[in-house]
Amino acid sequence: MTKKNESSSDRVVLKVDNLRIHYATPQGDVIAVSDISFKLYEGETLGLVGESGCGKSTTAYGILQLVQPPGYIVHGSIEVAGTEVLDLEEEELRKFRWTGLSLIPQGAMNSLNPTMRVKDQIIDVIEAHEGKQSDKEALRERIFGLFQNVGLPNRIYNMYPHELSGGMKQRVCIAMGVALHPTVVIADEATSALDVVVQRIVAQTLVKVKDEIGVSLIVIGHDMGLLAQIVDRIAVMYAGKMVEIAPVANVYAKPLHPYTQLLIESIPSIKERKPLKITEGITHDPRNPPSGCIFRLRCPFAWEHCAEVEPLPIDVEAKHEVACHLFDERFEDRRANAYATLANS
Amino acid sequence: MGGISLNYLLRRLLVFFLTLWVAATLIFIIPRLAPGDPIAAMVARLSYQAGFVENADLIIEGWKERFGLNDPVYVQYLRFMTGLLGGDLGYSMARFPSTVTELVGRALPWTIGLVGVATFIFFIVGNLCGALLAWARTPRLVKVLIPMSMIFTSIPPLLAGLLLSYTFAFLLGWFPQTYSYGFGLTPGLTLEFIASVLHHGILPAMAIVIVTFGYWALGMRGMMVTIEGEDYMILAQAKGLKPFYVLYRYMIRNAILPQMTALAVSIGTLVNGVVLVEVIFNYNGMGTLIVTALREQDFGLIQGTSFILITTSALAVLIIDLSYPLIDPRISLEGR
Repeated sequence: MTKKNESSSDRVVLKVDNLRIHYATPQGDVIAVSDISFKLYEGETLGLVGESGCGKSTTAYGILQLVQPPGYIVHGSIEVAGTEVLDLEEEELRKFRWTGLSLIPQGAMNSLNPTMRVKDQIIDVIEAHEGKQSDKEALRERIFGLFQNVGLPNRIYNMYPHELSGGMKQRVCIAMGVALHPTVVIADEATSALDVVVQRIVAQTLVKVKDEIGVSLIVIGHDMGLLAQIVDRIAVMYAGKMVEIAPVANVYAKPLHPYTQLLIESIPSIKERKPLKITEGITHDPRNPPSGCIFRLRCPFAWEHCAEVEPLPIDVEAKHEVACHLFDERFEDRRANAYATLANS
Repeated sequence: MGGISLNYLLRRLLVFFLTLWVAATLIFIIPRLAPGDPIAAMVARLSYQAGFVENADLIIEGWKERFGLNDPVYVQYLRFMTGLLGGDLGYSMARFPSTVTELVGRALPWTIGLVGVATFIFFIVGNLCGALLAWARTPRLVKVLIPMSMIFTSIPPLLAGLLLSYTFAFLLGWFPQTYSYGFGLTPGLTLEFIASVLHHGILPAMAIVIVTFGYWALGMRGMMVTIEGEDYMILAQAKGLKPFYVLYRYMIRNAILPQMTALAVSIGTLVNGVVLVEVIFNYNGMGTLIVTALREQDFGLIQGTSFILITTSALAVLIIDLSYPLIDPRISLEGR
């Protein structure tokens, strides 16, 4: 853990401010991401977690400017190393892509073009940003270098995606994602469709490559156990809101937000069978979120104040924010009670 | 890796020859099931032209003997099949002593040329239109114009041919109404002759193209929409590739594969349409020849022309089949 914390500095490379993303539907807009703000520090690995439909992928695609219709960005600011992404013109954005922000998709799925050789899919991104490469020999050496970084054999250079295993395809996606040394890499469920062993290896490859190349990384996933192994901080999302961002050690040792607590509680253990405390799914209509706190309908500690006032992120310590009224100094008694209840359960 | 094994090639060729054998047998049987006597029909035609034919009975009998129509059916069948193997399609009964091979030899290049060019045009135009319909960056005007140009898709090629012939040949006089080249020209590789062939070929080819390309455009549009939802399209966008490159290398390249399969399947239907279009334009190809043969109950010619049409279609399908591994790396035709 201490080693990981050393790798992240205090320089902010990605600053998301007040980002709001809607999906237009005939019955009104679905609020997928609701005014979230967070920072990513240089060299840091941030995990983005939450249940399905909480807006974690939409947040990532919003940052990458890849929100597909009917989704659209309502307002907000996304700043990558001083560049405001939302202000870029089309051609500027095209050039900014992959050099500023790159994506590591779920490679085991259909993320690679089935009719192009692996090498051509890496070459095309290099040539789209650095122009036609005349020195083919150097280009090949460069791609071999990328393969070596992610532990791929050189023989896959001329292969097609269908000739690779899921884990290999995922590595190709990682190699491709870091090919241009981007400022920030976003890995969207990069390990989800793999078996546990390959998952672990791919995750370690991801971190190793990240450290070698010195990029900042956002990892989206729902495997809390795996994320705990590789990230520095975890951001927990619930129904489009960011409810807590905390250093990974804190999240597992003393989760603060009631939702984070439930989430940690629901991680399956192989040592014991425990009942699930959390009920499935976001219960409210995403078109008409409840007033005040977004989580109050499912929160065991909610009281009147939660329906009236929306909780704002509160800094509890360095790089640790939580959006819950319990951590407002005025409600310290309630917090003590809540923890007592939790400890007894 | 994609590739064709000898085993697969042999199996595929076996199917090809089996198709031809079944086709030849059917072609032999079907005309014989139709009512009417070809020789009598021909003599009747002669007497109609000349007013009177002496010893008509003897002529009929003599020709039946000459064409072997008095032999038992299986003898006729064996003779027909051995003839086919040697490339001998027999004599045309109505145009004796012309052989079927001779007549087909004169007509086939025209049809292959016409169908080939028309297929080339509608496949390219259709798929391009479909791709543009689905592409997000296509100008709005183009997206409105393409569906409007597809109104002919629902009419049969026969009517399209009539419509084009009436408008552009009869009313406007821009193109000749009939035949495949100007009268008085000697076929050869002269500029004048080639220009004349192109000039004569445009209307028949267009008649096929305008009724066909709409289907391809719609099919392609559907495929493109499917491709747009693929994960690799999001990655292509995230990679910051140039939009035009994404269009042809990621979208069209993947969407075209099922279209190639559809082309192989549709070749038979295509030939149907061509036959009628040829008749409308009195184009001296296989279509006109086959209709003449039918009208004159010319057994030999019906068999010959049908057989050649089937062979050509089967050959086209064979070629498309064998070229799959070249266009789709996921398919390899290796025997298992």
